[in-house]
Amino acid sequence: MRRTGGAEADGAGRGGVLLYLAIVFAFVFAPIITSMIFSFNSDRFPTVPLGEFTTHWYETAFSRPEVWEAMQNSLIVALTAATLSTALGFATAYTDYRYNFRFKSAYIALALLPPTIPLVIMGLAMLAWLARLGISGTLTGIIIAHTVMAAPFAMAICRLRLSQMDPALEAAAWNLGASQWRAMRSVVVPFCLPAIVSAFCLTAAVSFDEFVVAWFVSGLNKTVPVVILEILQGNVDPQINAIGTFVFLTSMTLVVVAQLLITRRRKA
Amino acid sequence: MAEPLVRLTDLKKSYGNFEAVKGIDLEIAAGEFIAIMGPSGCGKTTTLRMLAGLEAPSGGEIFIGGERMNDVPAHERDTPMVWQSLALFPFLSVRENVEFGLKMRGLPKRERRERVAVWLERLGLEGFEKRRVDALSGGQRQRVALARSLVTEPKMLFLDEPLSALDAHLVIRMQGVLSKLQKDLGITFVYVTHSQSEAFAMADRVVIMGHGEIVQTGRPKDIFRAPRNRFVAEFVGRNNIFAGTVAGGVINVDGTQLPLPGAADGPAEIVVAADRMTVSLERPNTAALEAEFVSEEFVGTAIICYFEGPGGEELKAQVTERELELLAPEPGKHFFLSWEPDAPHVMAVTS
Repeated sequence: MRRTGGAEADGAGRGGVLLYLAIVFAFVFAPIITSMIFSFNSDRFPTVPLGEFTTHWYETAFSRPEVWEAMQNSLIVALTAATLSTALGFATAYTDYRYNFRFKSAYIALALLPPTIPLVIMGLAMLAWLARLGISGTLTGIIIAHTVMAAPFAMAICRLRLSQMDPALEAAAWNLGASQWRAMRSVVVPFCLPAIVSAFCLTAAVSFDEFVVAWFVSGLNKTVPVVILEILQGNVDPQINAIGTFVFLTSMTLVVVAQLLITRRRKA
Repeated sequence: MAEPLVRLTDLKKSYGNFEAVKGIDLEIAAGEFIAIMGPSGCGKTTTLRMLAGLEAPSGGEIFIGGERMNDVPAHERDTPMVWQSLALFPFLSVRENVEFGLKMRGLPKRERRERVAVWLERLGLEGFEKRRVDALSGGQRQRVALARSLVTEPKMLFLDEPLSALDAHLVIRMQGVLSKLQKDLGITFVYVTHSQSEAFAMADRVVIMGHGEIVQTGRPKDIFRAPRNRFVAEFVGRNNIFAGTVAGGVINVDGTQLPLPGAADGPAEIVVAADRMTVSLERPNTAALEAEFVSEEFVGTAIICYFEGPGGEELKAQVTERELELLAPEPGKHFFLSWEPDAPHVMAVTS
């Protein structure tokens, strides 16, 4: 009896929760969806009713050499920064997992610090520092900046995975004749592989999206977000919607892959 | 005398100020099934980890096969271990798990496959080669762990509480599997456990550790009948421990005079196993302790009756079901506990 009553109450509660979720998601995604719709709209200005369906804005946007160049830059920066920050993040997470040393908590706090620094400060500091090194305005400069910014995310993901690892697992590998290095390759890395791939996707997304610091240090080697702003500063142009849609889909794909890999549970 | 397979001399391990192992000496013969047991924190697992090279000793020496092993890294020792958590590699199949040790030794693929097949068959795991280890039952995973450790045909196997995660009925079955395996292979098993029943059921020799030291070493039967001191007697369980003063072959326990022929005068502690106790309704002719019944516990076919002695100590006596019926105990009812003169064992008095 109580069960049935409970189920009814649950039904009502469930409906409420679903409605709430729908509103939240609508609020979050409405601007993006709007932008996506207008990217296929033939009208010059974003007005309702819509004009005709067109891929014109994609054609013009992607026929601009500076957009192509920015895409290329973004791709190089994202892939390199993701590789470097994932390697750094994994190594930091592993030292945390494996060793105990003095000032370890300070070490971890320091390693996790970059995302808490205001982006403008980070951008200015990077600009000053990279200029002194003579690599401001180069892709290397952006890669360094993005690696610094993304590595803590990679570390957090790898740490989470390592915390699920039975400490006996690595010892078991040594016990069966694997040297430390061999155990790392054949046990620790395979165990962490979902986290490593996930960290790679997420850091690539962080770099691909990042605007503020890239704007400070990019100089003539612009990345996609920087180019978007420059086009936008000139005039309102539906090409922005087209590029935005492309950037959004790229980032979302990376983030979704990362999420799937983190939350995936092995089938029992 | 032939060199023992394993020799530990004054082996020590400390973590900061905490001494986990306080200088132990132990010899283990080839082909022996030895159980190291003790309460948690007694240093038994640390000792095993030092043997396997997973912890570096703070002092003393480890010899295996006559060779000093102190500085030999874990992966160069042939001392495979079965872990409490089993530590199977979750991202590998059953075959790949068992194959791991052979792969690290650089054996060619064909030979690896053959040897894995032999061991999987031996442990009743044929047909499971391609299964993931998390798709196996507890007992099957246990056997994969055994196969993984034994496939390299080591001279000895370390087992660190391997049965603690299993259901009671599986524990008994695995004890049988382990005993048989050890006899068939003729290799040394070093088995660490806190479970007296596991150790006593399988081991040729038991090492009791407490507070980082070896308290007693001996055959299970001897340790049960003749525990060296109160610590061992209490740890082994089902023992009655009496403290008293001996004078002229008689011990005075809380005012009751009990014969203890041949014992030296002075303070003494004696132990009488629960199964050597006789419970009677009337005061027997021999000396006996009067005690108050507290409760009973069924253990298999026998019953352990718990009493409160004259000094408030807990006393245990093992009786049969038939005896229990005749005694008809009720809490608070008084009985007389006595034993044959040869039953008590005099222990070293611990301060």
